[in-house]
Amino acid sequence: MRNINNITSEKKKIPESKRQFCSFQMAGHYFGVDILDVKEIIDEVVLTKIHHAPPEMLGFVNIRGHVHLVLDLRLLLNFSTKSIDEASRVLLFHPNVGESFGVMVDQIGHMIEVEERLIEYRVSEENISGIARDFRKSELEKGVCKLKDKLLIILDATKFLHAVDLKR
Amino acid sequence: MKQTGIATKIILLACGIALLLMVVGCVLMVQFEIELLNNLTDKKVEEKENFYLYRLYQEKKVLNEQLTDQVNNLITLMKSVDVIYDQTFEFQIHSLLMHPMVVAAEFCDEKGYSFLAAWKSKTVQTAQRFPKTLSLKKYKMINKQTGIPSIQHIRLFFTIEKIQQQLQILKEKDINELHETRNNIYNKLNILFLTQSIGSLFVVALLGATLIFSLRWLILKPIHDLMQIAKQLKKLDLSVDITPKMASHELNSLAQALGQLLEGFRKIIADVKENANMLSGSADNMTDIAEQLTNQSEEAESKANIVAEASVQISANIHTIATSVEQISDNMEAVSSTSDYLFNNINSVANAIEELSSSLNHVGERAQNGTEIADQAVLLAAKAGKTVNTLRHAADEIGGVSEFIQRIAHKTNILSLNATIEAASAGSAGRGFSVVASAIQEFAEQSSRAAKDITDRIASVQKGTYEIENVFKDISAIIKEMNESSDSISFAVIEQTKAVQEIASNALEADERARNINVSIEELSRTVNDAADNTAQVAMGANDVSTRIQGVSESISFNRQISHQINETAIVLNHLSGNLKCMVDPFKVSQQSKIKQQQ
Repeated sequence: MRNINNITSEKKKIPESKRQFCSFQMAGHYFGVDILDVKEIIDEVVLTKIHHAPPEMLGFVNIRGHVHLVLDLRLLLNFSTKSIDEASRVLLFHPNVGESFGVMVDQIGHMIEVEERLIEYRVSEENISGIARDFRKSELEKGVCKLKDKLLIILDATKFLHAVDLKR
Repeated sequence: MKQTGIATKIILLACGIALLLMVVGCVLMVQFEIELLNNLTDKKVEEKENFYLYRLYQEKKVLNEQLTDQVNNLITLMKSVDVIYDQTFEFQIHSLLMHPMVVAAEFCDEKGYSFLAAWKSKTVQTAQRFPKTLSLKKYKMINKQTGIPSIQHIRLFFTIEKIQQQLQILKEKDINELHETRNNIYNKLNILFLTQSIGSLFVVALLGATLIFSLRWLILKPIHDLMQIAKQLKKLDLSVDITPKMASHELNSLAQALGQLLEGFRKIIADVKENANMLSGSADNMTDIAEQLTNQSEEAESKANIVAEASVQISANIHTIATSVEQISDNMEAVSSTSDYLFNNINSVANAIEELSSSLNHVGERAQNGTEIADQAVLLAAKAGKTVNTLRHAADEIGGVSEFIQRIAHKTNILSLNATIEAASAGSAGRGFSVVASAIQEFAEQSSRAAKDITDRIASVQKGTYEIENVFKDISAIIKEMNESSDSISFAVIEQTKAVQEIASNALEADERARNINVSIEELSRTVNDAADNTAQVAMGANDVSTRIQGVSESISFNRQISHQINETAIVLNHLSGNLKCMVDPFKVSQQSKIKQQQ
């Protein structure tokens, strides 16, 4: 199901030759996810902790009557954990990405629109034959987008839940 | 003791001499005996020695004969044997040495060389001849020719030392016995000497005792009586009667002569005594009269002297009064000039104090002004503090408002992001909306930035107002302090002013008084001068009186001297008569007077 959806979404975008990313900052690095995968951005977060859950699961959040699972993207990307502050935001993803979940980010950035040719995708088949040392991180990373003054690392939102499973 | 003194001394001396002579005789006798004994002992010792010499000679002779016999026996023995072996020689020589006195023996051949010799060192030893170390010169030798071909000579050496030693011991023993007996005799002689001396002492003591007793009885008793009488005479008691009780010897006639001499003396002294008593009474009377005269004249002189001294003292006193009055006058002049000076000084002080008072008034006014100004300043400072406080509150409020604006900006930002997301999901249809959303986002960011700017500035404004508030507080405190100090200054100035005014009034009064004093002192000075003149005149009169009184006193003194001379003469007379009486008085003429004296 997911694969078919992904293919259709990429097919739609190709003729347009332009893509939009929702950018955010994490430990001084620039990251981005596809804007079509994002459902909503939330600023006032009241977390309910889940006991006996892995440390990557920060807890549940109630958004207009719907309960969503919130993951700690810092831990998924192997950064050290950090307490929630005023700039912290939660990105909620579409149901077609995964079932009602979001990730906690340090600071939200702009919505960026870039040309297709500025994006370099990574080929997954090559990586398997190479050094499989940091397997999960490479899986989350889909490619790099070249901006005027910096690089934007594009993450694959569909792999986030899977990454939590792999950590077990 | 005195009575027995002479006799005892004589007797003791005689006894001592007798004792000494006896002791000396004893000693000489004993000495002679000891000498005799010594001579006897020496002779005996000599005899003993001779006897022992003779015995020694005899002994030697016997020994020589004995040994010669032995050797002869040996020779006969040898002659009787046909063959003589070496062992036989050895045995023979050993048998010769068996005799205790023999020291060594030697057998010689016809040429005189020895072929066997034996001698005693610790044991008996044999050899062909004597060793050279053995010296045989001190021993006696018997040399015998045998006539046997194998042995021509036999030489035998023997000693007589042992015999000598035995004889010596015997001799010493005898001599020691002799000495012991001699010592015994000595001891006996000593005891004899001791007993002799004790005996002689006893005899002498007996002799002395009898002598003392007889002397006392016959001679000392009459002498003692005479001495009693002489003692009474020594006390100038002529009333003693001397009756010759003892009829027998020379001492009695001496006592009678003494009694006659006493009778004559007694009469003469009685006459002299009576006359002396009369003379003494008349001299006493004369002395009394002269003393009265002297006393009266002395009294008169002392009184005149007192008057003269008093007049002199009066004159001196008046003189001192005059000089002191003059001094007072001088002092008054000095006081007058000083009071003038004082008056001037007080005047200038009063003026100065008035000036001081006026200037202090001025200072007081100024201090009052300062206090008022400080009060106003305190009020203004308080008002400014309040204003600043309201300013701070306003700034706080502004801070709150800007925070609110910032929150709104954030919300708007989120809203615009979500709008963009929605627009993107709508695809090409939402493209227009996307532009609007991004514009909204931009506005939101701008407003957020502006709000932040305002917040920062307001914060700096708040800081400034806080500082101003503190500064105002300090200023207000300082002004308060200033106010207080100026208050105290003005109070002090008021007090000072009062004090100075008092001083000024006092100074004025002092000025007045000083003037008064000046005037009265001048008057006083004048009066004192007059007094000085008058006193000088009085002093001169007093001097005159004094000199006259002194003349009177001198004439009285002359009188006194004359009466004093009379008195002295009377005293001399009295003294002479007293002396005569004293001389005569001790002679006691009759038994009655003696009894009176005793009573």
